Amino acid sequence: MVAASIALLVLWPLLELVSVASEALDGPGNGSLVDPMANTALVGAGTAVLATILGVIAALITERSAVSGRQWLRLGILLPMLVPPFVSALSWLRAYGPGGLVDDFSGFELPGLFGPVGIVLVVAIGATPLAYLITVASLRTRAERDLELAARASGARPLTSLRTITIPLLAPALLGIAALTFVVGINAFGVPAFLGTPASFDTVTTRIYQDLTLSSRPESFGSAILLATGLVGVALVLVTLAEMALGRIDAVPRRAVPSGHSGTRSARARLLTILVWFAILLTTVFPMIALTLVALTRGVGLAPAPANWTLSNFSEALDGRFLGALGRSALLAVMAATTAVLLGVMVSALRNKLGRVAGVTALVSFALPGSTLAVAVLLAYGAGLRDTLLLILIAYVAKLWAVGHRSISGSADNLPPDLFHAARMSGAGVRTAVRTIVLPLLSPALLAGWVLVFLFAFHELTMSSLLYGPGTDTLAVAILNLQQLGDVQVSSALAVILTLPLILMAIPVLVLGRLPGRLMGTG
Amino acid sequence: MSPLLECQGVSVQYGPVQAVKDFDLTLEPGETVALLGPSGSGKSSVMYAVAGFTRISAGRIILSGEDVSTPKASVPPEKRSVALVFQNYALWPHLSALENVAYPLRRAAKPKAQSLLEASHLLEKVGMTELSQRKPAELSGGEQQRVGLARALARAADIYLFDEPTAHLDSQIRESVANEIAKRRAELGAAAIYATHDSEEALAIADRVVILRSGSMVQTGTPADVYERPIDAWAARLTGPVATLNATVLEAKPGKLKVLLDEVTVIAHSASSTPTRSVELLIRPEWVRPGGEIRGTAVEVSYRGPHTDYVISTKSGHLVARAAGSPRLEVGQVGGWTIERAWAPS
Repeated sequence: MVAASIALLVLWPLLELVSVASEALDGPGNGSLVDPMANTALVGAGTAVLATILGVIAALITERSAVSGRQWLRLGILLPMLVPPFVSALSWLRAYGPGGLVDDFSGFELPGLFGPVGIVLVVAIGATPLAYLITVASLRTRAERDLELAARASGARPLTSLRTITIPLLAPALLGIAALTFVVGINAFGVPAFLGTPASFDTVTTRIYQDLTLSSRPESFGSAILLATGLVGVALVLVTLAEMALGRIDAVPRRAVPSGHSGTRSARARLLTILVWFAILLTTVFPMIALTLVALTRGVGLAPAPANWTLSNFSEALDGRFLGALGRSALLAVMAATTAVLLGVMVSALRNKLGRVAGVTALVSFALPGSTLAVAVLLAYGAGLRDTLLLILIAYVAKLWAVGHRSISGSADNLPPDLFHAARMSGAGVRTAVRTIVLPLLSPALLAGWVLVFLFAFHELTMSSLLYGPGTDTLAVAILNLQQLGDVQVSSALAVILTLPLILMAIPVLVLGRLPGRLMGTG
Repeated sequence: MSPLLECQGVSVQYGPVQAVKDFDLTLEPGETVALLGPSGSGKSSVMYAVAGFTRISAGRIILSGEDVSTPKASVPPEKRSVALVFQNYALWPHLSALENVAYPLRRAAKPKAQSLLEASHLLEKVGMTELSQRKPAELSGGEQQRVGLARALARAADIYLFDEPTAHLDSQIRESVANEIAKRRAELGAAAIYATHDSEEALAIADRVVILRSGSMVQTGTPADVYERPIDAWAARLTGPVATLNATVLEAKPGKLKVLLDEVTVIAHSASSTPTRSVELLIRPEWVRPGGEIRGTAVEVSYRGPHTDYVISTKSGHLVARAAGSPRLEVGQVGGWTIERAWAPS
């Protein structure tokens, strides 16, 4: 049953893809594909460098210096996880782009926002929480604080101990982080679609999108498939390398991590804290405010002052056309989350070889570029399911069940079997033991997995933009289309609707449930 | 009345590893048996098989006359009248100490209020009243263990299984738990099995000791049997300090040997009467008395308070001795000793 679902969800579409791609190789000229590939590599490399540096610096600040409000700072660093990348791109445009908020006030617009610089900046900021979480976990499992203290006790200054002890210990993890964030960069679609396409800067993913949706040339379908196959190959190699480099990063640290810091709260720590908050403000909070202000303003070019505020953009955003898209996004997200969690539970219950194989497949499907997966699902199921929500749901579950599986299996593996045995020994049957012991202990993980899958699915743009048909567009697709039509106000209002309520809802969950840790299996 | 527990030729197989081989045990009402063996000797596997967690690969397990485990079928653990104290306590982290102990009572369909009341009485018995609202993570190892014991006692069972139960327990609580088990043995005819690698504990609490080595039963008998008449040198070392010395047999009678050790005649108890020329003698330290004809140099002298332990180098090998009071010899000094007793395993 589980094996069959895996095969149907992931393996069959990929096999279809490879077989069609090998035919496409013999087709007419693919010469125009070099540019998108070079651009993609550029975005990947830039993202890897920037996100790794930002993530490591943020982790060293929250874990290794005497900052105040550490928990809130952690939350702030993770905030970009709650903003879908294409909404980030949109919000940066509204804040720093031509005609954006800063432009209105000071005439300044960020140079290079359209093009590789802007793409790398926005994608890297979205990937920083990932780099941050892995670095935090690695600091706990590989570079325990004692080792640094021993260096200090041997006469090393703080920066010397960082350079000679901490960074060398983290080196393999850093390679793994760079590989993973590189994959995030090359898989990115929303950001290059918003910031690259207007500047004719094509990446593999935007090229696939254009070929599939805007072109009627039959040979372009072939080149899209070639690109998709190439992308999945690179992503798989890199994710495998990252897994090897990171090893058992999700292993529970043997000793409790001292949360405090031995040093006093120095002026330097205060400065660092302020700097990080400032960066969060500049990269995430302010753009979101700008986006919201544009959505609230009556017309383009008007100052975003209360006098010019209106809710008409929101009421237009919530009329029949877009309300349907909102409903479909929510429905797809609920169904994807529920299916992914159920699959995750079933796979975790199989503590055998099949379970391991399934776990690996789940990881692979998460690393799969959404563009590739969408093309593969289209090839495998498009004939029968074209223009149905089910087609999109299949792609979502194939892509996201890894999230459900990871968050559940981490907790399930840490659940000592004797806790179950002790319940049986106390007179509980299997069902009672599961109900009274196993489920209560796993419920935070189940909830976290569900919320994460819901969040990813609700924000998903890459696959739905390739798979939607008449009457099956999602909210994210509606925003993409509106932005391409140049409707600044309503697209902003839709983006706010897509993002802000979930941010407000997710913060309590993040605070209470250690959600991000579960994403990485470190919770 | 049928025995509470019969294990007949029980084997447990984990993949290629045979954890338990052809294990036999009969447990009568009111009896306490200790399973003694080093780690990896199969003690926990026997426990888990009796509790119903491990499928047996051969033999059968009978509880109060009913077949509960055969290679083909197994009665589920909750349907067996067995309680188990887990080696790692296995307390449920989401429940308080009180709720952990009340859990078996709830499963026995007792009302909630009554369950909590009985649970708090049980926690009182293990001295945990004040900490009853704490979660396991807020308890020390020893405190967790007491909660684990109370939880096992909350189950009205015929057989109480203790998997290495007293590692962190202070003697007062140990006694309180032992009393509680003794009471249930007397009133309800319950029995207990302790798995332990601590020989002193096994000899002190058990009516009968079963010695396990690599999954096989090596010897079974009363504490005095296994201590004074060990089946071989390995079993002797497992149950306490012992010296092994080679001696020449002078005369063999059923159950008794006259042997020559360092040119001194010694009478040894023997398991067999088959005449042999030389024999390996097992000598416990308290069987050796200071003063006498066997001369040796003290190589180790350890003061223990009530007594002093000596290791003495003799012509036939190293002898261990224990004598009351402070040291009589210093390391390097030569003294005379008398062997009052010796045991020759077959």
